[in-house]
Amino acid sequence: MKLSIDENRCKGCNLCTKVCPYTIFREGKRLNRKGIAVPELDRPERCANCRLRNLYGRQLCGVCQLTCPDQAIHWVEEEPYEPHKVAIEY
Amino acid sequence: MSYDEWFRTDRLPHIYCAGCGNGTIINCTLAAVDQMGWKKEDTVFVSGIGCSSRAPGYILTDSLHTTHGRALAFATGVKMAKPAFNVVVFTGDGDLAAIGGNHFIHACRRNIDMTVVCMNNQIYGMTGGQGSPTTPLKCLSSTTPYGCAEPPFDLCELATAAGANYVARWTSYHVKELEKAVKVGLETPGFSFIEVLVQCPTAFGRRNKFRQVADHVEFLKSHSLLKAKRDRLIDQGQPVPEDMFVVGEITKRNRPAMGVKP
Ligand SMILES: Cc1ncc(C[n+]2csc(CCOP(=O)(O)OP(=O)(O)O)c2C)c(N)n1
Ligand code: SF4
Ligand code: SF4
Ligand code: SF4
Ligand SMILES: [Mg+2]
Repeated sequence: MKLSIDENRCKGCNLCTKVCPYTIFREGKRLNRKGIAVPELDRPERCANCRLRNLYGRQLCGVCQLTCPDQAIHWVEEEPYEPHKVAIEY
Repeated sequence: MSYDEWFRTDRLPHIYCAGCGNGTIINCTLAAVDQMGWKKEDTVFVSGIGCSSRAPGYILTDSLHTTHGRALAFATGVKMAKPAFNVVVFTGDGDLAAIGGNHFIHACRRNIDMTVVCMNNQIYGMTGGQGSPTTPLKCLSSTTPYGCAEPPFDLCELATAAGANYVARWTSYHVKELEKAVKVGLETPGFSFIEVLVQCPTAFGRRNKFRQVADHVEFLKSHSLLKAKRDRLIDQGQPVPEDMFVVGEITKRNRPAMGVKP
């Protein structure tokens, strides 16, 4: 699974940057066409739900999605054989 | 997630200000509703007037967006006419406790089978920030320019005293706990009341040193006192910090209820 922010819905409140235990969301710097600085994703492949949802067959964590007041955070299926960066958490 | 299916996606993004916590509360409520396995045709969302009360407009089921303060009166009508329906009410602190105060205590007394989620931003958000019955002492609002001098209501104590079967309080920071509390509320026959303290950056935060949304959420987090911890402090004869509010399941009981599904 891949984490994704819907640019049409996000209002740039940055609450997601506060709640993710892996601090995957970082304050955005570039304004989009609506004038909103949408947060950037820092190595989103570390997200528990991205890694394990399909294995466990259920939603994991999901705190960012529940918190996002604008329903802008969701996950999309990856294309087959999409290249991956390997993230190692110590 | 599957609670997505309950949203009217064509109406999103909603009108709430950036950083307004009302959207978070809708997410948590719908996540709980989704787990109940209810049919959309059998579920009704009811609200009064206020920013909080706009919530049902973003939900796919039938809904009633009624007059200010009267959400519970309309919801009572729905439930008594159609006891098989699942009734969920979204309301605000002004809607529920100011103009709608009497409907609130009597709905609790009658213990009508519905779940009420109160988005308590401690202010009249929609009309530009007048003080409400839950505005804390010393807080600034457009009607309390020198700081609020009236002691606020404790909505959970009020609901408990008036007879509600289930009463809980959480904040917009505690999303998982809130989702669980709403679920227990939906499962409990009789009147379930869930108060959610929530940030309103536009009308409350701006005047009360919470210009940054994250600061207000941090305040809600750090000033929450778990009920179990509060009870322990009392048992040990220690003082309960006055600037904190109790969160958790406050009341769960089984008084006679009305309108319970046949
Ligand atoms: C009978 C009536 N009186 C007054 C109003 C004006 N009014 C609209 S919303 C509101 C207060 C809403 O406060 P609250 O319920 O806390 O909702 P919030 O906007 O804070 O979510 C008031 C007084 C009205 N619409 N109808
Ligand atoms: S919480 Fe949602 S609306 Fe706010 S910045 Fe993050 S993605 Fe955007
Ligand atoms: S689901 Fe949890 S770990 Fe994954 S991005 Fe959201 S908050 Fe972070
Ligand atoms: S005025 Fe306050 S309650 Fe209303 S939408 Fe804006 S932030 Fe939310
Ligand atoms: Mg209010």
